[in-house]
Amino acid sequence: MSVINYAKRTIDFKIVYYGPGLAGKTANLQYVHRCLPHANKGRMISLATGDDRTIYFDFLPVSALTVRGFETRFQLYTVPGQVQYDMTRRLVLRGADGLVFVADSQFERLRENVESLRNLETNLREYECTLDEIPHVLQYNKRDLPNVAPVEYLEFVLNRRARRVPFVEAAALEGEGVFDTLNTVSRMALASEFGSERRGHDEAS
Amino acid sequence: MKLRDTVILEQDAERIHQVLMRFLSDSGAGEALVIDRGGQLLAMDGGGQALDAVSISALAAAAFSSTAAMAQLLGETEFTVLFHEGAKRSIHVSRVEEEAILLAVFDERTTVGMVRVFAKEASRAVGAVLGEARARPRPAGEFAAPLNAAESGPAWTPPY
Repeated sequence: MSVINYAKRTIDFKIVYYGPGLAGKTANLQYVHRCLPHANKGRMISLATGDDRTIYFDFLPVSALTVRGFETRFQLYTVPGQVQYDMTRRLVLRGADGLVFVADSQFERLRENVESLRNLETNLREYECTLDEIPHVLQYNKRDLPNVAPVEYLEFVLNRRARRVPFVEAAALEGEGVFDTLNTVSRMALASEFGSERRGHDEAS
Repeated sequence: MKLRDTVILEQDAERIHQVLMRFLSDSGAGEALVIDRGGQLLAMDGGGQALDAVSISALAAAAFSSTAAMAQLLGETEFTVLFHEGAKRSIHVSRVEEEAILLAVFDERTTVGMVRVFAKEASRAVGAVLGEARARPRPAGEFAAPLNAAESGPAWTPPY
C-alpha cells in the first residue's frame, strides 16, 4: 500500500500489471523504461527465464510530479502470466495501490483473458481486497494485429463490474497507449489518497 | 490479511533513524534498510557505498515472500531470517513485524552472528514505531482536499 513519508516528502505507490501470458505486460514496462529520461526512472529489473518469459516479475521505479510538496513515485511491477506461476503472482500483488489488467485483444485469447481476470480477483481475496477497492485500468493490447475482437466485445466480456473502469487501446510494442495507461492508473491511485476518495486508513485504525 | 497505507511522520523517521544508527554501531553492519513487505523502502541508514536501495528493496521483499511461501509448504509459519553470503558483502534479512523486514548489508568487519543478535533488538524497536504509525489516524493536512484540475493532469507527457 502507499507509503507517505513526511520526513522525505514523498508518496510511493505500487502499480501491478496483471494479465495472461504473452499479453504484453513486460512490453509496457520496457517501453516506459526506453522513453523516460534518466532523471525519472531507476533501474529496470527483469526476473525472466532464458527465453525471456517472466518467471517472477519485472520491476521499474519511476518518478512523477510533485503534488502539494510531496514527490510522487510509482513502482511498476509485472506478474508472470503463465498459469503455473500463481503463487508468485499472488506474492507480487501484495500491497498494490493500482492495477493494470493487460488483455490480449486477439479472439483466440479471450478465454485466457477471462481466466486471468478471475485469477486476479481470487488472488486479491488473499489480501482481503476486491477489484472495486483498487484503482484499476483495462488495457486492450495488440490492437495492431489483424484478428482482434472489437473493443465493444472486450468491454462486454471484461469490463462488467457495477462501476465500469477506464480502458485504453494499445499496441505496447510500438508504445501506443502505454503512457495513456500509465497516466490513467497513476492518476487514479494518486486521487485515492486525497479528499473524499481517501482510502480507509482512518476507519481502519 | 488486510494491508494498510503507511504514513511516516517526521518523528517516526527520527525514531527509526536512531534505532538504525544504534544497530549499525552495535552490529558493525554497513547499511540498514527497513522495507515494506510489498517492496517499498521505508527507511535507510548507513551507506558508505552507493546502493540501489529501491531495487534492493523490491528484490529483498520478493525473496523474503518467496521463502515465507516455501516455509508454509513445509508446514512452518515463516522463516524469520534470510541470509545471503557473498565473497565481500553479505545480506541479512529479518522480520520486523507482519508488514516489514529489516535488511542489513555487511562485510568481513563483522559476523552474521553479530548482525543477527542486534537485528532482533532493532526489529522489535522499529516494529513498535511502525505499529504506532499504522494505528494512528492519518493527518488530514495536505490530503484533505481532492486533487484539483492542475494536479490531476498526466504525470508523463508524450511524445516519447
